[in-house]
Amino acid sequence: MTWRAALLLGAGAATLPVWPAPFLGVAVMAGLVLLLVALDWALAAPLHALTATRTGDRTVRLGGTATVTLHLANASGRTLRAQVRDAWVPSAGARPDVPPGRVLTVEPGAAATLPVRLTPTRRGDRPAGVLAVRSLGPLRLAFRQRAGRPATPPWTLRVLPRFDSRRHLPEKLARLRIIDGVQVTRGRGQGTEFDTLREYVVGDDVRSIDWRASARRADVLVRTWRPERDRRLVCVLDTGRTSAVRVGDEPRLDTAIDAALLLTALAARAGDRVDLFAADATLRATVTGSGRPALLARLVDAVAPLQPALVETDFELIAGEVLRRERQRSLVVLFTALEAGALGEGLLPVLPRLAARHRVVIAATHDPVLTGLTAAPPTGPDDAYAAAAAWRALAERDRVRAALSRHGVTVVDAPADRLAPTVADTYLRLKSLGQL
Amino acid sequence: MTATLAPTRPEAPARPRRRRHRLLIPLGLAVLLIVATLVFHAVDQPDPADRGFLSPVATGDDGGSRLAEALRGQGVAVRRETDTLRALLATEPGPATLFVPAPELVHPDTLEALTALPPGSRLVLVDPSRRVLAGMGLPVVPGERRWATRVTSPDADGRPCPLAEAAHAGRAAADHQRYLGRSGWTAPTCYAGGLVRVPWSTEVVVIGASDPFRNDRIDEWGNLALATGLLGGSRPLVWLDLPGPAPAPTGPSWSPVPGGGHGTGDGFGEGSGDEERSDDGASGDSPWDNPLWDAFPAWFWALLVQLALAGLLVVLWRARRFGPPVPEPLPVTVRSAETVLGRARLYRRAGARGPVAETLRAAALARLLPRLNLPPDTPPAEVAARVAGQTGRDPEQVAELLHGAEPTTDQELLALARDLDALTRTVVHPIEGDPR
Repeated sequence: MTWRAALLLGAGAATLPVWPAPFLGVAVMAGLVLLLVALDWALAAPLHALTATRTGDRTVRLGGTATVTLHLANASGRTLRAQVRDAWVPSAGARPDVPPGRVLTVEPGAAATLPVRLTPTRRGDRPAGVLAVRSLGPLRLAFRQRAGRPATPPWTLRVLPRFDSRRHLPEKLARLRIIDGVQVTRGRGQGTEFDTLREYVVGDDVRSIDWRASARRADVLVRTWRPERDRRLVCVLDTGRTSAVRVGDEPRLDTAIDAALLLTALAARAGDRVDLFAADATLRATVTGSGRPALLARLVDAVAPLQPALVETDFELIAGEVLRRERQRSLVVLFTALEAGALGEGLLPVLPRLAARHRVVIAATHDPVLTGLTAAPPTGPDDAYAAAAAWRALAERDRVRAALSRHGVTVVDAPADRLAPTVADTYLRLKSLGQL
Repeated sequence: MTATLAPTRPEAPARPRRRRHRLLIPLGLAVLLIVATLVFHAVDQPDPADRGFLSPVATGDDGGSRLAEALRGQGVAVRRETDTLRALLATEPGPATLFVPAPELVHPDTLEALTALPPGSRLVLVDPSRRVLAGMGLPVVPGERRWATRVTSPDADGRPCPLAEAAHAGRAAADHQRYLGRSGWTAPTCYAGGLVRVPWSTEVVVIGASDPFRNDRIDEWGNLALATGLLGGSRPLVWLDLPGPAPAPTGPSWSPVPGGGHGTGDGFGEGSGDEERSDDGASGDSPWDNPLWDAFPAWFWALLVQLALAGLLVVLWRARRFGPPVPEPLPVTVRSAETVLGRARLYRRAGARGPVAETLRAAALARLLPRLNLPPDTPPAEVAARVAGQTGRDPEQVAELLHGAEPTTDQELLALARDLDALTRTVVHPIEGDPR
């Protein structure tokens, strides 16, 4: 029953003073209202004749707005008057076009469309909640409502990372083209791999003239070089406990994902094959770069639902997985944090095996709070203790970095907003040096 | 963003508030006026339970001293009694007039005795309630009650007044509480029901207004004539002036009195019969004997029941939730530098000033030595000399600062941290500021 039934009974109470037998009046009016409620309930459209389906966007970039439409079809012979609550998780930022309190009218055999605009506030999978339908009677005194009727159509909106470092991509691509030797007419490309022989034009570097080939032809030929192609790049995202730490206003993992996406976009353009793993105690996501055209899209889709887990990362597992999958020499970029406890006990024992087969780069975000603690002039005893603790943490980080460098590992340690371009620069440098 | 919001924000809520005021102020004034009127009316109404109310010795506004004087002036013997029993005894020898200005104060057990006065007597009751009338067994019930006393003529309702005294007095302020005959008996009434005469062996006169007897109103209209007419005559007047609610009569001293008083002989038996009947009533239908039931009409209780039923419907309506709550999968959040700050607090709690000073000095040296182009294993004395040379400080002081004893209090530690900070700044900053 609804508030109207209560209002009816309450309004009827006002007539009691004129009843000859007031208590009989109460019984009569209560009985009448209950009868009306029962009648109204019986006349409401049956719920089992309703079917709900959804259409709309499956993915949206964080910060964008998606529309998912719920279609409610009325297969019964009665007109449906219903209130519909289409619930989503709060972080999906759902704004239904039809508010849940409004009563919809759906003629027999017709269908209602209920669009919901979603502006998610967090990355990852945002599922739809349970659909609730309240079928009201013609008098709206009573309603039918039952859990699971109609069945909730499942829907998950995948919220993709924002990929803020996209803005660095044109600049890095321009540098890649310079390395490639495509854009510069003068001088040879800085690659180390032999590309083609072509005729000498004025302005070419005389050092690149291939005398032996020139001797066979009437023209002077120069060799052109290009960077190695079809190299392999493996991005490894550490989703363990150190990735949950908030640096600035987002977790380390989000920064790492951003940097990995920029690196992948760059490497895919440079013609390298990119694989990606995400792991903590177990393997969370795997993308192998077989289908090149849609690689970035697949990668973004794979990393979107990743969330930090409060477990210690199993570097043994990561090293084993990389060694098993990558037979060729590859560039392994490991996105993690320079933390003595996590890396010293987990990574250092397996690093020699990994570094023997592959070129390893460790990309880490450093915490601006630590620098702040050490740089600020102390104002109270607490500051002195905090500064000492921060110095100690920095010293540990330097020790870890030294230990990693001994194994021939390149360490990229940058603040959160500079991590993606710095990692891309490192990649470009290694590529131009032919060290992939 | 705040700059754009700031000017718009104060305006937005101001308009609804002003609009609300426009509605609230007249409503509030009306409510205030109504409440003030009700309070003043309640204060202005004389309370029969007050000490001086219609007392022959009270000269206040609601006293009866002027009435008593007027009666004495007419030669009526006025006898004031402050106890019910003694008042009854005072009426003993022959016909008398018993004036009860506050019948509410008479104990319920003695009410019936008031109607059993010697033959030819008259009982005058001022504004008796339903309980008093029922307790005396009078065939009269209270009817409509006016907001204020009205001045009417004795035959205001068209019927001639049966009471000669009233007819003689003419218009008087007697129409306040009206009385009707009970169960079909048409009571002889005057002043539109404000005065009723019950012609029993003891003539009972019930008057609904106290105005004709009160000092402040006795001079108006025919009030004095009505009051002296009712109470005067040849009979002596016994004025029952109870100072407060009368105590219960004690059995042995009370019971024989009415029996011996007017010689009917069955007073004792009647009294005991009354007691039995009231006992039976109390034990037989005690749940329905609550005086609260009679205080309100039956439709009031029926109204309460129906409103409770309506409230139950509201509860049932609100109790059915519109779909279950949707749980939000919350992300793991770890604040940045959590472990470093925790370690700082541990240092502080443990009072580890020695290790803290050691760490701070080591960090300062690690920054100073590269600046001064010294190898890390330089002896302390040379470091102190070079630093002193660079900064112009006392070498001993610098040596004490860089390699001295460990601080013993937090204040010493803070001073050390500050000095080290200042020292490193003076050494490091000029070089940092160098545009190189």
